[in-house]
Order: sequence, then C-alpha cells, then structure tokens
Amino acid sequence: MLFFSFFKTLVNHEITVELKNEICIRGTLKSVDQFLNIKLDNAETTDGARWPHLCSTRDMFIRGSVVRYVHLPAGMVDIDLLEDATRKEAAAAKEKAK
Amino acid sequence: MSFFGFDTTLPRDHSHSARAPGFGQPADPFASLSGGAADDEIIDFEDTYDGLGDQLDDADDALNDDTFGGGPATQQTVGKDFDFAGQTSKIANTLQEEQMLFEARNLRKPPPVQASKPARTGYESYHDPDYIPQLEARADIWGLQPKQVPQQKQPEPQAPSAPAKKMMSLDEVEAMMRAQTASQTTAAPPVQPAPAQIPPSVPMRHQQQIQHHGAQDQFAPQILQAPHQQQPSFSQQQAHAELPAHPVQIQPPRQPAAMQRQRQTPDNAGQQPRYAAPLPSAQRPPSQPRQILQNPNRLSGQGLPVMPPPTGPRGALPVHSRGPSFPSMAITPDQLMQMPEEQRLAYLEEEARRAKRNHKIALLSKDNGLMTPQDKNFITRIQLQQLMAATGGLEEARSEAALAEDFYYHVFSQIRGAHRQTPQQPANQFAQTYLFQTNSRFGAGRRHGRGGDNHMQRMEQQVQRAVEAAKAKPKNKQLVIEGSLGKISFSNSKTPRPLLNIKRAETGDKHPKPHKSSIADRKEVLRNIEDVYRALMEIDDHERALPPPINEESSPEAIQNHMEWRTKFQALHDKLWEATKIMEPINLQSPTPHPFIAMLSHAKGKKLISRLFRHIDDQERVTVITMIVVHLDHLPVVNQAIATPEEPLSPAIREQVELFVHAVIPPYFTHIQTSPLNIVIGLLEIILQRTNLHLVARSKVGMEMLTILLSRAEILKQSAPEMDVTEWEKWTELYNRLFDTVEPVLPVLFPGTVNDTDDKYIWQFLAAIGVGASPEQQQRLVLGVKDRVMDTVTVSRALPPDMSAARLFNVNLFMRAIGLDVELLG
Repeated sequence: MLFFSFFKTLVNHEITVELKNEICIRGTLKSVDQFLNIKLDNAETTDGARWPHLCSTRDMFIRGSVVRYVHLPAGMVDIDLLEDATRKEAAAAKEKAK
Repeated sequence: MSFFGFDTTLPRDHSHSARAPGFGQPADPFASLSGGAADDEIIDFEDTYDGLGDQLDDADDALNDDTFGGGPATQQTVGKDFDFAGQTSKIANTLQEEQMLFEARNLRKPPPVQASKPARTGYESYHDPDYIPQLEARADIWGLQPKQVPQQKQPEPQAPSAPAKKMMSLDEVEAMMRAQTASQTTAAPPVQPAPAQIPPSVPMRHQQQIQHHGAQDQFAPQILQAPHQQQPSFSQQQAHAELPAHPVQIQPPRQPAAMQRQRQTPDNAGQQPRYAAPLPSAQRPPSQPRQILQNPNRLSGQGLPVMPPPTGPRGALPVHSRGPSFPSMAITPDQLMQMPEEQRLAYLEEEARRAKRNHKIALLSKDNGLMTPQDKNFITRIQLQQLMAATGGLEEARSEAALAEDFYYHVFSQIRGAHRQTPQQPANQFAQTYLFQTNSRFGAGRRHGRGGDNHMQRMEQQVQRAVEAAKAKPKNKQLVIEGSLGKISFSNSKTPRPLLNIKRAETGDKHPKPHKSSIADRKEVLRNIEDVYRALMEIDDHERALPPPINEESSPEAIQNHMEWRTKFQALHDKLWEATKIMEPINLQSPTPHPFIAMLSHAKGKKLISRLFRHIDDQERVTVITMIVVHLDHLPVVNQAIATPEEPLSPAIREQVELFVHAVIPPYFTHIQTSPLNIVIGLLEIILQRTNLHLVARSKVGMEMLTILLSRAEILKQSAPEMDVTEWEKWTELYNRLFDTVEPVLPVLFPGTVNDTDDKYIWQFLAAIGVGASPEQQQRLVLGVKDRVMDTVTVSRALPPDMSAARLFNVNLFMRAIGLDVELLG
C-alpha cells in the first residue's frame, strides 16, 4: 500500500510515465488505484514524432502492470515522511508475518 | 331548443330525479308516485337559479299551443300513454356513441391501478411521531382497484336497495304510472315527466358516478338545480353516508379500496360547506367527482394536481388558479359542443394537459408501494451509514486503520494543504514531526498548548509558529551579534604580526581517525538508528492518542485514562532514551566510537536529533548536547571536514556537513539560547579540555557551535552582568584559553580562497569572539584576520553591487563587533 499511498499524493501533479514498451507519456495524474493503474489528463508523449499514433490521445488510462517507471517531481516527495512510512510499512509487514 | 329530446339537454338540466338513483335507494325516485315523499327541503331559489330561463326564446311561444295543446297542462290533459323506454331505444345508437365517447376520453386517463397509487406515499403516518409502522405489508398496495371498476359498478347503485325495497323495472314503473293515472285524483302533485324515467343509460351513469364519488361537494348545486325534485334531505344524507359502503356490498373482495374510501370521507365532509357555497352558477359543473372517479383513491393523496384544493397545508392547486379554468372533466360532450370555440379549445387543451400529467404521474408511480416503509427505513439506514463512512463521520475508528495503511498519503496531505478534507486528523503532530524536520526548524513551536479541541486551530497555530520561528531564527542570530555592536568602541592600532606559525603541525592529523568501521559495526549502528526511529514513532502514535485534558471536574474515567496514557508515555519515553544508547560509558580511547556518536555519522542519525529533542526533557537534552560536544572532534563532520584552499571538501562531506548544520545545530542552538551561564561554561570547558580545538575551530560545525556558545554568554553578560561574579570569572578564564588556542589558527580559519563566498559563519564566529575580547585580544584578532579582511574588501569592489554588499556585510559583522567598519578601510 505504500506506493499506492505515495502515488495518491501526486494526484493533480504532472508526472511522466515510462511504459515497458518504451513509450514515454507526460500528463497530469488524475487518479491511481491499488494496482497502480494510472489515469492521466492532458497526456502527451514526450516524443510525438516517435509515437504519432498517440498524438490525439489526451486522456489515458494506463494499466499498472505496463508501467516501467514513473518520473516524479522531486519537490513533491517528502523524504523523511517517506522513510517513516516505509518503517511503518515494514513493521506492519513484520507484524503480519508473525 | 327541444323540450323533448333527451340528448339535447344538459345533464344538469335534467331534473334531479335523473340523478336520484345515484344517491342510493332511500331516495326513491318514484316515491312521489305513491305520494309518500315528504318535502321538507327549504331551498332558496335565488341561490340556485341557473339563469337558464333567460335563455329561453320567447318568440315562438305562440307555437306552444300547437306543441302542447291548448290550455294549461293538467294531470288529466297530459296523456299518460307515453312509452319512454321505447323512445329511448330509438336513440340507443346515440346513447351508445355517448358512452363510447365517454370511455374513450377516460381511456386517456392513467390506467386505474397506477392511478390509485400516488394517493398514498406510504409516509403519511410518519407525520405522527408516535407512529409505529405496520409489520406486514399492506394488502391494498397490491389490490388497488382499477379505474374501470367503479364505472362498472356504477350501473348498480340501486342494487343494494333491491333486497330492501324491490326495485321496479322501468316497465313496471310506467305501468304503475299508467295505472295511477287511471285511479288518480286531481289533487295529485304534478309529475315530472322525463327524468325519472331515464333508463340507466350513459348520461345517467355519468351523473351517478359523479354523485357517487363527489356527492359531498355537489349536493347543494345539484339539489338546487332541481328544486322541484324535492328530494328529502334525509335521504341525501343517508345516501352520502352509505356511499362508501357500496363497493363492499357489491363486491366484498374489494374491501381494501372501500376502506380507503371510507378514510376519505371525513376529509371531504369537512370541506362540504366550503365547496357548496362558492359554486357560482350552473356554469360550473361538478369538477372533482370525475377525477375522483378516475382515481378513487386520490382523495387521500397529497396535493395531487387534479385534487380539489384541500384545506390546510395542502394549499391551493395550480390547476384551479390559472386561466380559463375548466375545473372539471365532467363536461359532457353536449356541454362541450355548446361552448364557444375558443373556450372549447382551451378546455380540450386543458384536458389534454391533464391527461398528460396524469399519465406522467402514473408512469412515475408505477412501482409505488413496492417497498414497505420498513424496507425504506432499512435502506435509508444503510445509506446513512455509508455516508458517514464516506465523509469521515466514523473518524475515530477509521483514522487509525487508515493511518496504518495509508500513512504517507495521510500525513503528506495534511502537511501540504489537503488537510481541509479531514480536519479531524491530529495533523499538528505530523506537522510538528515532519515540517520541522524537513525544514530544519526546531523552535518555539514545540511547546504549544495541547488543550484545544480544535485540531484545525492547533494546526494553524503550529504552522504560524513555524513561520515565526523561521523568521525569528536568523534575526535572533543577528541580534546576538548586532546587539553587541554598540558595546564595543575600540580603536585599532597596529601591532606586530605574530610570526609564529604552527599550522603545519596540524595538517598532519587531518585524518586522525580513519574510522575503521567494519560492516558489522555499520549494520549495528543502522539497526540502532532504526530502533530509535521505531521508538520515536511509537511515541508519536501514542501522542496522537492523547486523551482530552483533565481538570477538576473530569470524570474518574477520564482521569484514569489520562493516568494510563501518562504511564504508557513514560514507558515509551524510557524506551526511546534507552534506544539512543546515549548512556553507554564514554571511552574516547576505544577504536569504535560511542554508539550514539556513531549514529550521528549517518544521515538519518543526524535527522534523528531534532525529533529526539521533542520528546526528551531538558536534562536529557543537556546530556545529548554534552555527548555531542565531548565527541566533537570525533564527528566525521568535524574531523573530516577541514578544508583548505588547495583541498576543498568533497561533495559527500560537504553534504554531510550541511545536513548536520541543518539537523543538529538548530536544536542545539535552541537549547543553548535558553540555557543558563553554567551550562555554557560547562560546555565550553568540555570543548577546551577534551577536544582538539584546532580541529573544531576549523570546521564549520565546530565553529558554529562555538559561535553559539560565545554569543549566548555575551547575551547573558549584557542582560545580567551582575549575576554571579565567580561564574563570570570562570567564563573569562575559559574565554581567554579559547582565544589563546584559536589565535594561531586565525589565518587558516577560512577554508577557501577569497572568492569563496561561503564564509559568513566564519565572520560570525570572529564577531562572536571579538565581542567578548579585551582590547588587547581584539588587536590580536584583527592582526590574525587582517589580510583576509583586506582581500575580501578588495575583491568585493570588483563584484556587482549586490554581491559586493553581501560580502562587505559579512565582513562588517566582525568589524563592528570590534568597533570598526569596512567604511574605515575605504
């Protein structure tokens, strides 16, 4: 849930999604779900010449399993908080394993 | 105008006898034949005269004799050999047409089953607070009678009377009349010829229906229109009373509908007087009855448009208040034909609209009554629960679980502005923990009242304090230095430059401790750090569960809760303190550093300090600071962070230093700011005795810590110089030692070249040390850094104005501390 939780904080911010088929899409994150499926608004590929078939697509739903990377705006990441959240997550996982 | 044709007269122009059967059996239309009718009805002619007489055409009166025969018509002269039944049969086709027309019009009305439903929303009973809903479904919601049923019943109103009083057939009546004529005396009352003999054909059925359902409203006009009928009032009343019961008698299985109708009765009865009076003229046909007829149950409905405007909260209805109102659909085709063209159009339009509306209502109400009120209650409850859950109504139960699952999102959104969605969240703690940490602020904000219940307020205060602290912090530092500026006025004079140069000796121990840490050590340290973090988070979580503050009036449970909370808090606090391992014995000679100090060599260990400070008391803070100070020259950020112009710091080290300055120095600074002199003295003494001051003084971290100590002592000296003479003596002695130790390294304090702009902290240090210096010491100080001052001033002249000003300002920090100004160097 940590990544879900993390991505939720990026809603309404611009992100760049790199797919496993190399396509790179930049857009405003509208929503994300627990599978990290991503919904983008105002989406456009970073290289229109390379993927012309995506030129006219503005709103996208990207299945989470095809995402390779998500480029984040650095200012939107609270590292200390993320560390703590990770600790909590780890503790919870450990608790569950018992 | 024909006086004979049945089909050309308006229904209301028929004498009352035509309608009489609709009133029920007691109103025996043929009573007069047997002379048994009592005439006790007093009727005001003026009230009821419909003015039809004025419409009569007198011009052809002369032909009356031809028509009626000469002389006044008497019982004797009028022949009794009529055969109305036969005559009626001649116009059977017309009657049939009438009936078809009527039914066709009714077909446009909603189907009866649907129509009857809107009458009951199922919630009327809930207006009564004490109402307890029935536990079983109502039978009548399934069994509402179809529209056709009342009509089909209509021909039979007489039926109930049949058993009581044998109903004569038409033939019998006529036969009886003829027989009566034969035996009649002249005193016999005049017989109204036609109406009574009207067979139960279509027009009559209309009227029966009308009376059947709307009798209450229509009594007066109907009666008055046929005053000569002289219907006994008792029979009317009786008929009225019996009306509701008819269906029961006719069709016992229809009981539910009958019950409903009975319920309507009182409601309408109450309106009777009101409606009887205002009926203006015969132009106004019975309006409601037909509606009621079509939707027999509607009377109990609420504000349906076709309803007569009921009294009380239901209010007036739009239909009746607008335009050319044709309040009723009971206008027969005859009337329709008689209307003026535009009126008829309007009427038809109205009719169509009404039909449309009824249809719509019927569609909408198709599934009415499918659910019982209990079902609806149940669903409403579920919806409410979901609503509560969605809007955070069950915040308490939810927040903890949500926090555990979704910690990052929750805290993040609270810190970064989305907190308005969930104002109940204990955001202040998060902000405290993470805002301060992130922004390296640790100030007055930590001591805030926990009393307020309003989280939002607390949150806002928190942020405000953070901002204030941010503003105040540099200002305070500034004040420390600037406040001392005015004190010193000392003229500088040249003294010989000290030729002793011992800095070569120090370069040898640039890396005095290679910090030979094995992987096992490193892991151990990291594990320790994580332990501390875990303890910290437990405390944070526990703080969020802080019970409301207690006072004298608090209930025992509240106090108990609070006590338990405090106990737990203490336990967690002890655990935290233990986790820091700060109480482990100090062994400066050991190859491995003290576990607490080892933590400080990691980035997250450095960040730990400010969070740790939030949860420990003053004594423990002093312990932490002391521990750091003792090991000052063991810290990587000190002993590996000594740069020279030839060998600047590596980026990694520089980053560590910056982090230390932002994470550890602020809490240290905050604490020192409130410390008494003895603590300052103690710390300085430790530094002097136990650390390599040359190392310390040449590192940024060490220099800043010294600056803080010196400036604090200076502030104390100025605010309360008379405080304690012995302490001041001690301080002066320490200061002198410090000065003497630092003096040799003054020329090499600056890590970079003149062009290195990051030298403010050095000037601050020089200023802090210069403020407290004696005149003689100040001279030595100036001598030590004179080259640097001159170089900086020279360099700044070549710089753009703003950069130049910034650099000169830094230099001036020091110059003013010793009573000089860069202007003098001009």
